[in-house]
Amino acid sequence: MTPLDFLRFAFGALSGHRLRTVLSLVGMAIGVAAVVTLTALGEGARRYVIDQFASIGTNLLIVVPGKSETTGIPGVGAAAHELTLQDAQTIARQVPEAEKVAPLVVGTEAVAYGPRRRQVAVVGATHEFLEVRKLVLSRGEFLPAGEMTRGRPVAVIGQTVARELFPGEEALGQVVRIGGWRMRVIGVLAHPGTQLGMDVDDLAIVPVATGMRLFDRRSLFRLMVEVHATAELAPAKAKVVKLLKERHGEEDVTVLTQDAVVATFSQILGVLTLAVGAIAGISLAVAGIGIMNVMLVSVAERTREVGLLRAVGVGRRQVLAVFLTEAALLSAAGGFCGLALGWSAVRLMVRLYPALPASPPLWAVLAALGLALADGILFGLLPARRAARLDPVLALASR
Amino acid sequence: MSGMRDLLRLALGAVFGHRLRSALSMLGIAIGIASVILLTSIGEGTRRYMVAQFTQFGTNLMSVTPGKAKTSGIPGVFGGTTRKLTIEDAQSLARLPGVEDVVPVAFGTARTEANGRGRSIFIYGVTPNVPRAWKFAVRQGSFWPAGDPQRGAAVAVLGPKAKRELFGAANALGRFVRIAGSRFRVIGVMSPKGQFLGFDIDDAAYVPVASALRLFNLPELNEIDVVYAHAGVSGRVERDIRRLLAARHGSEDFTVTTQAAMLAVFDNVMNVVTMAVGAIAGISLLVGAIGILTMMWIAVGERTAEIGLARAIGATRAQVHLLFLAEAAALSTAGGALGVLSGLGIAALLRLAVPGLPVHTPLVFVATAVAVSLATGLLSGVLPARRAAALDPIAALRTE
Repeated sequence: MTPLDFLRFAFGALSGHRLRTVLSLVGMAIGVAAVVTLTALGEGARRYVIDQFASIGTNLLIVVPGKSETTGIPGVGAAAHELTLQDAQTIARQVPEAEKVAPLVVGTEAVAYGPRRRQVAVVGATHEFLEVRKLVLSRGEFLPAGEMTRGRPVAVIGQTVARELFPGEEALGQVVRIGGWRMRVIGVLAHPGTQLGMDVDDLAIVPVATGMRLFDRRSLFRLMVEVHATAELAPAKAKVVKLLKERHGEEDVTVLTQDAVVATFSQILGVLTLAVGAIAGISLAVAGIGIMNVMLVSVAERTREVGLLRAVGVGRRQVLAVFLTEAALLSAAGGFCGLALGWSAVRLMVRLYPALPASPPLWAVLAALGLALADGILFGLLPARRAARLDPVLALASR
Repeated sequence: MSGMRDLLRLALGAVFGHRLRSALSMLGIAIGIASVILLTSIGEGTRRYMVAQFTQFGTNLMSVTPGKAKTSGIPGVFGGTTRKLTIEDAQSLARLPGVEDVVPVAFGTARTEANGRGRSIFIYGVTPNVPRAWKFAVRQGSFWPAGDPQRGAAVAVLGPKAKRELFGAANALGRFVRIAGSRFRVIGVMSPKGQFLGFDIDDAAYVPVASALRLFNLPELNEIDVVYAHAGVSGRVERDIRRLLAARHGSEDFTVTTQAAMLAVFDNVMNVVTMAVGAIAGISLLVGAIGILTMMWIAVGERTAEIGLARAIGATRAQVHLLFLAEAAALSTAGGALGVLSGLGIAALLRLAVPGLPVHTPLVFVATAVAVSLATGLLSGVLPARRAAALDPIAALRTE
C-alpha cells in the first residue's frame, strides 16, 4: 500500500460515517479554538500594556523618595530625607546622560471658576513634563521653560476640566482658583484618553514650585529623568543614585527604570496567557479521548474488513498505519477547523474592541495544531494496535 | 418493560456492555469536572485568603484619607490638599457617637539604626490605642501612655522582625534606636502578626504620630482610621464623619473608605475571576459532552434491531426515549462523580505539596458539579434518544 492508499482508505472510512466524524471534529475544533482565542486575548493585553508604556517613552528613569528593604511598593508614604527641587537641578547639571529632568508633585484640589468647581488631580511640573509624558496641547501653550524653583500663577488644564468649568466659553486667559490661589489658564491639553490609568483629561498642571507651595510640600512625589538612549539607562541610574546618596548622606531613594517595569508586566501577562492557554488545552485532551472512542468503535465495526486486508497479505504495521492515518486525519482536520473558528473569533473581538491588539501568538497557534495532531495520533494508537493485533482468521470469521 | 428499576437496569447493562467505551466517555466528563472543581477551588481559596488578610485588622474599620478621588487611582496615594487632615480632625472624630477608636496615622520609610546595625523600615506614627484598633498584641513592654497626641515623645515600639534584625536575641527595652537621625527609646516590642498582602508588617516601628510628622516633615496625616462599635452604625458613622470633616474643611476634600465596601468590591472581582477560569475549564466539559453525544449516536445505530424488538413487544416511543436518556445520564453522572473525587484528590495533593496554596472547595461546588454533569448527560442524550424513539419498529427489526 502506498501512502496515498492509506489516505484514501482513511478518508473513505471517515466520510462513510459523516455525523460521527463531524462530531469528533467539533470536539477537537472547540479545543483548538479555545486555545487560540484565549492566548490571543492574553497576548493582546500584553501588547496593550507595552504600547501604553512605550507611548511615554522607554528611556525613562523614575526616582521615588524612600527606600525600604522589605516591602514591595516604593513611594508609599514619606521618606526622612526629601527629594527636593535642588536634587533635580543637581541631577540636570551633573549627570551628562540626563537629557530632560522632570520633577513632579501631585495632589488633589478643587479648581474653581465663578460658581463652578471640580475636584481634580493637580500636578506640579515643569516645561519638560510635556515631552517626557508625550502630552499634546490642543490650544494655548504649556508651562514656560526656565528655572524650576520659580513659581508662576499659571495653569494648563485638561479637556474635561475646560468643558466642565467653561461650558461654551473659552478657557484660555481666564483666571481660575486652585485651593484659594488665583491662576491664569495658559493652555488646554488635547484629548489623548487615559494614559496608564491617569486621566489626562481631568487634571490641572501648575509650575512645580507653585505646586509645592500650594500643597505645602518640601519633597517631590517623583522625579523623571529621560536619557538619550536605552544604553545610557544603567550608567545614568548609577550616577543618580550616587549623587543623591552624597547629597542625602544615605541611599534613601528608589530608582526604577521604565524597562524593568515593562519587563515585569510583560512577564506576568505572559505567564497568565500561558496558564489560561493550558487550562483551555485540557479540552484538547478530552477531545483526544473522544477520538479514541470513535476509533475503537470504528475498529470493532471493521473487524471483517481488517481480516480481509490481512488475508490478502497486508502486514500488521500497515494495518496500524491505516488506523493511525485515520486518527491523524480526524484530529488534523479538527485542528484546522478550530484554527479557523478561533481566528474568526479573534477578528470579531478586534472589530468590537479596536483598542485591544488581540492576535494569537505564533507559538500558541503552532502548539495548538501540533498538540491536536499529536493528540489524535496518541489516542489513536490504542485502537490501531487493537486492529493490528487481530487474528486474520478469527477476524474474517466474525459476524 | 416498566418502572424505574427496569429502566436503570437496562441503561446500566448497556453502559457495562461496552466497558472500555463507557470508561472513555466517563473519563472525558471526569477530566472536565475535575478541572472545573480544582480551578474554582483555588479561586475560592484565594478569595478567602485575601478576605482573611483584610479582616485581620478587624472588620469594623473605616479610613479617612486626604484628597477626593473622583476620577481615578487609589485615594490617599496622591494626598495633598490645601486643607490638611490634622490630628485635631482625628480628635474631633473621636467624639462622634458610635465611634470606639480613632487612630491618626502618618507613615514613611526611614533608616533605623541600633547596635551598629541599620535597616530601612516602615515607621508608623500612631496613637497608643493602636493595638486595640488594629488588633495587634504587645509582647514586651507597652505603648506610651495616652495623652495629648500633639506632643510627640521620643519613644518607639518595634515590630518583632525589626527588633530581631537590630538587637538579635538581646533585650531591646530601654535601649535607644536612631530613626532618620533622631534618638528614640524602645519601650515595647509587638507580637508577630505576619504579612499583609506581601507587606511584612512585623518589620516596622511605631512612634507617636506627632514625632512621625516631625520626622518626615509631613504637613498632614496620611490617614485616619476609625473603629466603629458594630456594623449597624457604620452608615451613620460614615455620614457623620463626612458632615463633620466637610464642615471643618469647608468642602469634601477627603475620601472615606469602609472596610466592608472594600471587601465587597474585592469579593466581586475575585468571584468574576473564579467564574471566568471555571468557564474556561468548562470548555473541556463541553467537549466531553460532545464525546458522549457521539458515542450515544453510535450506540443507537448499533442497537437498531434491539430497539425494533423492544417496540414490537410493546415498548412505547416514550420508553425508548427515556432508556437512551437514562444511559447518557448514567454515563455522565458517573463521570462527574469520578471528576469530583479526582478534583478533590488533586486539591488535597496540591495542599500537601504547596502548603501555602489556598484551596477551598465549598460543598455547593461539589453539588453543582454533579448536577451539571447530570444535565450535560441529559442534554447530550437528547439527540440520540430522539433518533432511537423515531425509529420505525418494522424497519428496525429488519436491519441485518
